[in-house]
Amino acid sequence: MQAAYLAVIYLFCLGLYCVVTEKNLIKIAMGFVIMEAGVLLFLVCLASFPDGVPPIVLEGVTSSSMVDPIPHALSLTAIVIGAGTTGYMLSLIIRLYRQAGTVRIDRMGRTEQ
Amino acid sequence: MTLGKTATLAFLVILAVLLFSAMGALPETTDRMEAGGPTWHILRSAVPDTGAVNLVTAVLFDYRAFDTLGEATVIFTAVAGVVLVFAREAMVLSGKGLSPLAKKSMDILTPFIALLGFYVILFGHISPGGGFQGGVILASWAILVVLIYGIRTEEDVLTGFVKMFLESAGALLFVALGAVALIGGREFLSNLAAGFSPGDVGSVISAGSIPLLNVAIGLKVASGLAMMFVTMSKKDGDS
Repeated sequence: MQAAYLAVIYLFCLGLYCVVTEKNLIKIAMGFVIMEAGVLLFLVCLASFPDGVPPIVLEGVTSSSMVDPIPHALSLTAIVIGAGTTGYMLSLIIRLYRQAGTVRIDRMGRTEQ
Repeated sequence: MTLGKTATLAFLVILAVLLFSAMGALPETTDRMEAGGPTWHILRSAVPDTGAVNLVTAVLFDYRAFDTLGEATVIFTAVAGVVLVFAREAMVLSGKGLSPLAKKSMDILTPFIALLGFYVILFGHISPGGGFQGGVILASWAILVVLIYGIRTEEDVLTGFVKMFLESAGALLFVALGAVALIGGREFLSNLAAGFSPGDVGSVISAGSIPLLNVAIGLKVASGLAMMFVTMSKKDGDS
């Protein structure tokens, strides 16, 4: 489980590094999506344990061997909200690109047409 | 490497160490589930409580159904925001579509995509899936049509009005199903307690209102995401 947490931290920090240092708006949006992937992986890690089975009641499956269904439902919520915010973020970037002619924030305002 | 990047890296290393020590202090999953908390309760009594054998769906559409209504509102808000950002764009033909080969393949694929989407929506309470996942599959159909046939055909097959109608119908169906419980004096969105039949547990028609709520969410997600993609792929009116 410790190794999975390391992957969560790596993904989150990688995304945050992208968001802070990149100048390209599309790459900043990608950074947000990578951070979100890290958070989702964390939720899945919280739910799971070795030899856990999916939380679907079938014959011959005991409830003590099922993984926790609550973080799964929460991560579904997080995915939906992530899709909504990513779509809105990208639409604002498209609009900015049409206005400024570039997606790089350090070149915006210098290339007035 | 600039000063800013070095400072960011140093900050991230500190953040990573703090996060790792915090995560190490978390209780083990199995310990947390033994404690008699919500998970313990759901794993033992979700099937008699809700009639759904997929416990994730039971949590999402029964125990936390009100939260799911809020989630659907988030999708609606995102779609409204995207449409608002592009409100003044004119509809210009964006691409004539791909080759006849791709179009023919799309014709063959369409029924299978629809079948998978509806299967995932309607079997959400007994197998992995549900309204959100199936809705995304159905939205991928609209996106493929835009990519392969071009945006004009997509607008002919599925006009903006139809998508708007489907999204509103999904939201209203969800609220109406929740309001049915109010008539019997139960809490908003309560399921079996409000008189919905649990049916034959494990079959398609079971789990009270959960399959209907799945259909409502599926309609909403499919039309919402399709509307978002089509709005974003419109070309600028001036260029």
